[in-house]
Amino acid sequence: MAVKRMIKYEVERDPQFAGWVAGVIGGERVRNCIQCGLCSASCPLSPYMDYTPRRLIHMAREGFKRDVLGSFTIWLCTSCYSCTVECPRRIRVTDVMYALKRRAIEDGVYPKRFPIPVLASEFGAMIRRKGRVTESWLILRVFLKTAIIRLLGMSKLGSKLFFSGRMGLVPESIRDRKQLQTLLDAVETHKEVAA
Amino acid sequence: MDARNGDLRIGVYVCHCGTNIAATVDVKAVAEYAAALPGVVVSREYKYMCSDPGQELIRQDIVELKLNRIVVASCSPLLHEETFRGAVAKGGLNPFCFQMVNIREHDSWVHQDRQRATEKAIALVRAAIRRVALHKPLEKKRVPIHPDVLIVGGGIAGIHAALTLANAGKHVYLVEREPTIGGNMAKFDKTFPTLDCAACILTPKMTAVKKHPNITLWTLSEVTEVQGYVGNFEIAVTRKPRYINEDLCVGCLECIEACVYKQAKVPDEFNLGLGKRRPIYISFPQAVPQIPVIDPETCIDFKTGRCKKTCIEACGDRHAVDLKQQPKQETIKVGAIILATGYQTFDARKVPDYGYGVYPNVYTAPEVERLINASGPTGGEVILRDGRKPQSIGIIHCVGSRDENTNKWCSRVCCMYSLKLAHLLKERTGAEVYNFYIDMRAAGKAYEEFYHKLLEEGVHMIRGRVAEVTDWAVTPEEEGKLVMRAEDTLISFVRRVPVDMVVLSVGLVPHEDAKDVRRLFNISCSSEGWFLERHPKLAPVNTFTDGIFIAGACQAPKDIPDAVGQAGSAAAEAMVLIDTGYVEMEPNTAYILEEECSGCKTCIPLCPYSAITFLADKKIAHINEVLCKGCGTCVAACPSGSIKQNLFEDEEIFEEIRGVLANA
Ligand SMILES: Cc1cc2nc3c(=O)[nH]c(=O)nc-3n(C[C@H](O)[C@H](O)[C@H](O)COP(=O)(O)OP(=O)(O)OC[C@H]3O[C@@H](n4cnc5c(N)ncnc54)[C@H](O)[C@@H]3O)c2cc1C
Ligand code: SF4
Ligand code: SF4
Ligand code: SF4
Ligand code: SF4
Repeated sequence: MAVKRMIKYEVERDPQFAGWVAGVIGGERVRNCIQCGLCSASCPLSPYMDYTPRRLIHMAREGFKRDVLGSFTIWLCTSCYSCTVECPRRIRVTDVMYALKRRAIEDGVYPKRFPIPVLASEFGAMIRRKGRVTESWLILRVFLKTAIIRLLGMSKLGSKLFFSGRMGLVPESIRDRKQLQTLLDAVETHKEVAA
Repeated sequence: MDARNGDLRIGVYVCHCGTNIAATVDVKAVAEYAAALPGVVVSREYKYMCSDPGQELIRQDIVELKLNRIVVASCSPLLHEETFRGAVAKGGLNPFCFQMVNIREHDSWVHQDRQRATEKAIALVRAAIRRVALHKPLEKKRVPIHPDVLIVGGGIAGIHAALTLANAGKHVYLVEREPTIGGNMAKFDKTFPTLDCAACILTPKMTAVKKHPNITLWTLSEVTEVQGYVGNFEIAVTRKPRYINEDLCVGCLECIEACVYKQAKVPDEFNLGLGKRRPIYISFPQAVPQIPVIDPETCIDFKTGRCKKTCIEACGDRHAVDLKQQPKQETIKVGAIILATGYQTFDARKVPDYGYGVYPNVYTAPEVERLINASGPTGGEVILRDGRKPQSIGIIHCVGSRDENTNKWCSRVCCMYSLKLAHLLKERTGAEVYNFYIDMRAAGKAYEEFYHKLLEEGVHMIRGRVAEVTDWAVTPEEEGKLVMRAEDTLISFVRRVPVDMVVLSVGLVPHEDAKDVRRLFNISCSSEGWFLERHPKLAPVNTFTDGIFIAGACQAPKDIPDAVGQAGSAAAEAMVLIDTGYVEMEPNTAYILEEECSGCKTCIPLCPYSAITFLADKKIAHINEVLCKGCGTCVAACPSGSIKQNLFEDEEIFEEIRGVLANA
């Protein structure tokens, strides 16, 4: 077993990232966290997370950017909002998770062969192109980018869905794709302004 | 300039307050500006005007430069008006030939722009100089103080204050609304951190109260009206009927045994509903006074009028049972008041995730205090509502504390009482005990050591706030148990801990009626509802109302040692007041220009302190100087302008306004 260095040096901290976290929508109150762990305890996914939500909040506000953006935790969050409802310091943990996901995609630092971020970005890209999601193609792309082997194992379920008419192969699309583009562009520029 | 004063010789003193003022206001410029104003003989700036050398400066200048008016520009008059009036008096000048300007709270602390803050300071000083020219010498009136003291609330704080004052020879009225004194402490079995038996240390003090010749104890009583002012309060107290004559009862308790209810059937308030009592009962064996009480809600005779009244029979020729007893009004005069009304605990139903009221084996800490108490409903045995003895117990800290969804504050005593309960429960049952805490607050003499003792005893300390208590089992071991889910934050694992019994360490909250009590006594509350002290550090038992003091947990959550400490301190403050023998009344009272009063009576009903009467012979209104608080209502209301007010004469105020606006 490889021995890992666990110590953290102050140079590994990115104060700018910490400031960014405290500035994103939903992140305003991260400095109020008292590390009680109620978010982790109420989170249905925390048993599978590499860092519990509590730990992630503290890592983020301290500025350990690489560990935070590279974590599985943010991708496992299902946005159930339990943590946000329960938090005794009214921290919007879920919204922080969203902000971190966006940032991880923007910075291209999410865990590479992990399906959830790939699904998120493929989903987004497909909507951008077609205005609609064609599940068969989306799944195909996600598996191609993450785990090709597992695709074979899924072929039986896939054909069943296909023959029962649950999943089509014809790419779906909306009529006026240009209008959607304009809309999305406007949103993007607005985001830039907000950031 | 005012002719009345002859030659004006004004001294102006501008304070730096260290850097509090000097950092934002150019104090030198202010002093130089003032020096050039008409009437000003000397104008200085100094680092700390309130210091001895600062005050000496004023005294010396008065003597040497024959000053007859003084202006000090510094902090709030609330802090140092008395200080500077004293310095002025030491120089041989009437202390009211003085005006204070607040250039700290009203200027340097609330502004950032140095130039504009300086301009503001100059304007305020100029206004004060013009105003002070019109000031008249005034005298403070002395009013004698009534030597008796009222104490409201007979918990440990009220008891301690009462005994202290009574031992010093003061007469005390102790008013308690429950049938017995003792407060919350009377319900505990042991007390942290020494684990001494609560009853053993409390009940001797309770009996001492009852026996003390200087204490009048009224239980089942509440204050209903408060009038008057420091040194001379007039208090109305309503005494609810006990239906037992306190003078005739000898405390044999035979009536209780004789009640037609052979079995106790009514949920017992003192045991928080965990036990039962009869309609005629005594709260607990050592209750003070040792006199039963009849609850008219459940007594058959009150409901049907057809009870055999076996209680009366049992009392025999002592004739103490009196089912016709009526509420009684008492009126008393006191010089000082101590409020020691304590706290109530947080209602655990407000946190539904913990299942209080849903799962029978979820208890609140006060309930557990009764369960482990030798005189409690189970005789001190820890038996669950389902009759089992728990083999594993989870204690949840901070229930209703440190939570924006309920109460923000830390209740301060619950970490310690949770440790105490962990120890006692483990001792009585041998169960595995888990304490779920956020931070362990054990700051107090021997408190940290108590925590260490618990660690050694093998109590599991899990640092994490519990998310939920559920009976939904995931593993076979969890079947039939209550499962507590929390993150063990020190190892970053979410844990599920199955237990037989859950204890909720509920926080301390102000009484539901604290706001009414506050209004009745005309004191202030913090936004949370705790009674507000005059100064958090330097006047912790004083209130903003002179003559009214606070002690114990009504001011903020606190443990017994602190409650007793405050009670002693409040007693001392009351004693200082009483032993001074008199109070000096501020001379800023209103007065009527008799020649001009038309006798229209407009002012009379308006005065909030009932200080104005109508002199039938002269057909004019008259103000009682002692009762007048100087609120100015009548001054503004008088249609003929014939009411004036010392220190707030129209000319003084107009001159001040002109001064502010002079350069505008
Ligand atoms: C579960 C639990 C365990 C605790 N264990 C410990 C411990 O082991 N050691 C320790 O140091 N501290 C302990 N504490 C804290 C302790 O209870 C308080 O410090 C103490 O009781 C404060 O005393 P008090 O006199 O200020 O208030 P209280 O005990 O609340 O007494 C106030 C009294 O005023 C009366 N009253 C209220 N309003 C009125 C009114 N309007 N008119 C007339 N009377 C009124 C009440 O009926 C009551 O008798 C514990 C607290 C809890 C909740
Ligand atoms: S619940 Fe809130 S306060 Fe507690 S650890 Fe999570 S984010 Fe922090
Ligand atoms: S919103 Fe995300 S982090 Fe929060 S409890 Fe749900 S899954 Fe967990
Ligand atoms: S004393 Fe302890 S249990 Fe009580 S509120 Fe404070 S931290 Fe929580
Ligand atoms: S100034 Fe106020 S308190 Fe004094 S007599 Fe007038 S109304 Fe009453």
